[in-house]
Amino acid sequence: MGLIQRAIEAEGIPTISISLNRTITEKVKPPRALLVDFPLGHPMGNPFEKQLQRQILMEALKHLIKITEPGTIVDLTGAFRIEGEKCMLCTVEVG
Amino acid sequence: MSFKTWKDRMFAKLFTRFPVFVSRWAKSQNFVVNLKTPWTPLSKDPKECRIALVTTAGVHLRSQTPFDMEDKEGDPTFRVIPSQTPPEDLTITHNYYDHLDADQDINVVLPLQSLDELEAEGLVGGTAPRHFSFMGHIAGRQIETLVNQTGPEVARMLKEEGADAVFLTPA
Repeated sequence: MGLIQRAIEAEGIPTISISLNRTITEKVKPPRALLVDFPLGHPMGNPFEKQLQRQILMEALKHLIKITEPGTIVDLTGAFRIEGEKCMLCTVEVG
Repeated sequence: MSFKTWKDRMFAKLFTRFPVFVSRWAKSQNFVVNLKTPWTPLSKDPKECRIALVTTAGVHLRSQTPFDMEDKEGDPTFRVIPSQTPPEDLTITHNYYDHLDADQDINVVLPLQSLDELEAEGLVGGTAPRHFSFMGHIAGRQIETLVNQTGPEVARMLKEEGADAVFLTPA
């Protein structure tokens, strides 16, 4: 996927992706990525968790602007909490 | 079901249930290694951006030709997903991961619903008319096809449809 992302960025469109595995993402080096600790096949989390899916997409849009260093991987592992039966993204603003 | 299909699905289930296998597999594979990355800064507020989605989760319309699961080096072609496609018109062809959850809710791999919501609430400028889907299990000679042909082709199509930014999801 990183290779496609790189082709799109090279065409002049800013891109950001979800990474499910740091090793792969570090090798392929896409312009911007958010690392999550979900299993394969679940880049947006569990089915029907609308709020979580929305939070992840919002987080990605935020980092489209925030990331200034090409090749940055933002680590969101550890930023997820289970509230009730729902998984939520809880990011803490640093700096 | 062929043995290859069965085997691929079994490995997919293992990889999904035991992430340690994914890390081990990732370390053993010869992924393309890049030291630099292309860079295009975002020039406007996301609230004014037309957003497109790209996934490598093997999503396609039921009416489209499924991805080729027989070629060991994968299928580097892509499918166009019109942005207003109802979820029931979409399916997944990809034997290298367990997509039982994504079969129930396609938004697990392609967040169409969230993007529509953000557009309706004015949090993004708009949704691009077309999203794009690949089957991410690409190896050997097919990497070249992806990098030199189908990847750049989708990039040009995204440019043509006026996408200001792209959000990508793997499987």
